[in-house]
Amino acid sequence: MSSSSNDGNSGIGKKELEHLAQLSRIELDPNEEAKLIKDLGAILDHFKELQALDTANVAPMTGGTDLVNVFRADGEENGGPESTNRGAGVDAFPESKDGYNKVPPVFE
Amino acid sequence: MEPLHDLTIKKFHEGLLNKEFSALEVNQTYFRRIKEHDKEIGAYLSLAEESAVAAASAVDVAVAEGENVGALAGVPLAIKDCILIKDLPATCGSKILESYVASYDATVIQKLRGERAVFLGKTNMDEFAMGSSTENSAFHITRNPHDHSRVPGGSSGGSAAAVTAQFAMAALGSDTGGSVRQPAGLCGIVGFKPTYGAVSRSGLTAMASSLDQISPFGKTVDDTAILFKAIAGSDPLDATSADGADYSSITEPAPLDKTKKLTIGLPEEYFIDGLDKAVSDGVQNAIDKLKSLGFNFKKISLPHTKYALSCYYIVMPAEVSSNLARFDGIRYARIANAKAEGEKLSELYLRQRGAGFGAEAKRRIILGAFVLSSGYYDAYYDKAQRTRTLIRQDFDRAFKDVDVILTPVTPTPAFKIGEKTSDPLSMYLADIFTIPASLAGVPAISIPTKPSSALAPGELPIGFQLIGKKWHEADILSIGHYYEKLN
Repeated sequence: MSSSSNDGNSGIGKKELEHLAQLSRIELDPNEEAKLIKDLGAILDHFKELQALDTANVAPMTGGTDLVNVFRADGEENGGPESTNRGAGVDAFPESKDGYNKVPPVFE
Repeated sequence: MEPLHDLTIKKFHEGLLNKEFSALEVNQTYFRRIKEHDKEIGAYLSLAEESAVAAASAVDVAVAEGENVGALAGVPLAIKDCILIKDLPATCGSKILESYVASYDATVIQKLRGERAVFLGKTNMDEFAMGSSTENSAFHITRNPHDHSRVPGGSSGGSAAAVTAQFAMAALGSDTGGSVRQPAGLCGIVGFKPTYGAVSRSGLTAMASSLDQISPFGKTVDDTAILFKAIAGSDPLDATSADGADYSSITEPAPLDKTKKLTIGLPEEYFIDGLDKAVSDGVQNAIDKLKSLGFNFKKISLPHTKYALSCYYIVMPAEVSSNLARFDGIRYARIANAKAEGEKLSELYLRQRGAGFGAEAKRRIILGAFVLSSGYYDAYYDKAQRTRTLIRQDFDRAFKDVDVILTPVTPTPAFKIGEKTSDPLSMYLADIFTIPASLAGVPAISIPTKPSSALAPGELPIGFQLIGKKWHEADILSIGHYYEKLN
């Protein structure tokens, strides 16, 4: 991927799109690619308006909340494991065998 | 007496306690209506009749035994498909979750169960809540009950249409950049997005975590307040939830003479040339009515409003690309025909996600990956986060001067089905008036300028938006209450 970031040329080329699609683990057909290149070009063009804005001395807003992170133990006083939907991921797993979750082979 | 499907939550509750009807009778009326008419609208993706009948019957037993039941007992609700109800499908309008069944209840669902509310079914939505028209659902579109050739708005279009067509007494949706307020505006009902953090997001399938809020739809402002009171509150399962205000009396509007002391700001950036005439006339009419009640208005400026759309369409897809990574075709559900014998894991991901996600989801995942990628992060993602600070500061500054801000909800009334599907940017513009409050995390409510019963033949509903200070839901709900009483 090109390292230039703010050169005014805001489109995404075919090669770059394929790289992004690969990183995003999404298979695209040629029609989808062509449409995406066109749409993303128009969207990124619209984003150019932000370049006019001076944000040098503005702190980024990094979330939706002003709360700060706190740590606590997963103890009974917090409802214990029963309050955390424990096991819900296993229950929802689409394939299982002998009590194990079945996944496709990971190693070739 | 009004027909059973016409009742508000308030009137239903009174009638239930006075034994004018049973909860079961009312819920069955809704199922009858859905079965007869929802093929024309497409509000629901799945129904839960068996569990609904059991829940409604249990309420009737409780009432007969003289038990004290709350305001939501027996109330038939529609729930957006991205909010998990244990043992019911939760497709999020996506093929990739077509066979997924929720294995636990969202916190809001647990709370509503505690109130003995009834869940009629799961409603249609733009895939993973990405869209403004409900045309991005992988399963079918939803039509605006006022005009079947038009969209209901989105992404919570199914829930909005369900309440509008009287297929549910009230509903839950989720609002990330306007996905409850915008369809409420286009359908002529009330949609109320609380302060970010006021309602737990646990069990809401995440789209953009710093923006998503579960939000109620109702026929009246008071009904949305009843639902909000039931679902609000901090939750250990959502670290961004908080108890920012005491909502114990949120369903009782403040007295009018006290409410009238709230100053309402009109931001010049929202009353622009090119605003549809029906919208500007409708909103002006709402302003005049509030003036006649004795409210004071003040012109204000939110100078960074015009950057909100760009800011949002960088921050949100960035979060989408990360949140939707969990849909890998291994957990949750698998698409059978997107599978090859002996394929490698990497191929499985590519195929499942390629076949499972629709065009808009793909666009946003890839756009999000782009704005977060090395070399572009500063120009896009970091820039957008700083812009978000400026937009939030606009509100902070304005709220030193006024208590509440009034704006249009949408630039136009409901648009035609298919009108904006080929041009994503034109679709994104449908949310320009709802996005800024989402970025700032402040509460906002969409209220019909006039009741549906007062619409002329062919006239489309228009909404206005009241935006409040963080944790000051009471202000906008009280003003909304008195506005509706004028009707």
